[in-house]
Amino acid sequence: MLQRGGLMLQRLGHRCLPVLSLVAFGGVWQLIAYFYSPALFPGPDATLAALIEVAANGSLWTNIWISLARFFTGYVLALLIAIPLGLLLGCLGFLQRLVDPLIQVLRPISPIAWSPLAVLWFGIGNAPAIYIIYLACFFPILLTTINAVKSIPSVYLKVARNFGAGSVTTVVRVIVPAAFPGIMVGLHIAVGTGWIHLVAGEMLGAQSGLGYMIVDARNFLRTDLIMAGMLVIGVLGLAIYRSIRALETLIGRHWGLGG
Amino acid sequence: MSIPKIVAAGLEKRYRSARGVDTLAVTGIDLTINAGEFVCLVGPSGCGKTTLIQMMCGFEHPTAGRLLIDGAPVPGPNPDHIMIFQDYGLFPWRTVLGNVEFGLESQGMAKAEARVRAQETLELVGLCPAAHKHPHEISSGMRQRVAIARALAVEPSLLFMDEPFGAIDAFTRLRLQDEILRLWEVKRTTVVFVTHDLDEAIALAQRVILMASSPGRVQRIVDIDLTYPRDRTHADFTEYRRVLFEEFH
Repeated sequence: MLQRGGLMLQRLGHRCLPVLSLVAFGGVWQLIAYFYSPALFPGPDATLAALIEVAANGSLWTNIWISLARFFTGYVLALLIAIPLGLLLGCLGFLQRLVDPLIQVLRPISPIAWSPLAVLWFGIGNAPAIYIIYLACFFPILLTTINAVKSIPSVYLKVARNFGAGSVTTVVRVIVPAAFPGIMVGLHIAVGTGWIHLVAGEMLGAQSGLGYMIVDARNFLRTDLIMAGMLVIGVLGLAIYRSIRALETLIGRHWGLGG
Repeated sequence: MSIPKIVAAGLEKRYRSARGVDTLAVTGIDLTINAGEFVCLVGPSGCGKTTLIQMMCGFEHPTAGRLLIDGAPVPGPNPDHIMIFQDYGLFPWRTVLGNVEFGLESQGMAKAEARVRAQETLELVGLCPAAHKHPHEISSGMRQRVAIARALAVEPSLLFMDEPFGAIDAFTRLRLQDEILRLWEVKRTTVVFVTHDLDEAIALAQRVILMASSPGRVQRIVDIDLTYPRDRTHADFTEYRRVLFEEFH
């Protein structure tokens, strides 16, 4: 009985720990804010007030909706192009060796460095923001897909060859499912990097979105609104990451990979 | 009376390492394996028994000599000659049934027909209760039986087994040996079985091909004149063990 109580307490503790750190964070934040002017370093109270303000006038929801739409457009575009390309490059060693230098040169260039060109090519508005998010998602997905295909145990391919599976069957029924867990890692990383570059993308002359909300707040020296925007981006990023993970577990179970 | 299934003459395989150094994996292999025969390749690691079976299955190509199966050279892997691997080669994303269906589907069999045939084969190896489980949910002994079922489903004339029970515990191993013999007596498939376990070879094979290393070659071929099922504790069995054992000294 005592042991059971202890276990329950332990479980409760596990649940409470993250909340505890958030509360502590809020407390320290409030404490520091006490020493600075609210215009320079707004506390959680001011930030929350700003959040309620934009939530009430509806601009928050429009901006969230627009940002999410841009993010998913860029993300889906990246995975639609990067996964098939990665599968192709992973399967054909000579092709991969051919384009590998190109990938290695393009990859370290920050998507933000593309922004002047993105504006030049796509003007202002949705397109450059989507392009920046697309770039941020593309390389993680491409590289992990190539890697996932190349690290498929050779015995799977031997079995496919042995049973006389054609190339289409081998790709669809062996290579894609075998590489799937690896590809999923890329999709994870891409959610992170893509969402991080959302703000940067939306600073390129966009007139809406969470990034724009922050830029606009800066123009009016509304530091409380800047922090509110950052907070929303953080929480939404967490929510998206969590949902991708839930989706992965769901598919993983269907795939028979446990988890 | 006996029809040769596999004929090897002066068979040789050289590998070239990245540094350009040649190693002779096997050399001067002269061998005939008859249709319906159960043959074991036995030898210490590095004797080229895996190389030899890989060449027979078409995953590797000989660098010299001749290798004929059913009177024709081996251009590559063939669904009539199925290899069973030590690490099973089961697809973790497919169920037991799905794994058995894979071989049939690969040859263009209709989905419904493949399902029926796969179920029949699972029944043959006694795995029907596990049909809808995934490989990670079953024991290693069961996994290897799934791999055997997947092979038998496509009704190959030739079965290659590369240390198939090497990763399986001793008790399960004995049961699987009996199981493979039972299946062989039903199907009369030609079986080439690689092992480094002398007892396993004596329990299973009609002929044991002893191999020696550096370079890999056939050292001696021993006919095992014991009736099936074999009594592993019988004096004749131990006598064969002594004969084979002494070859390695």
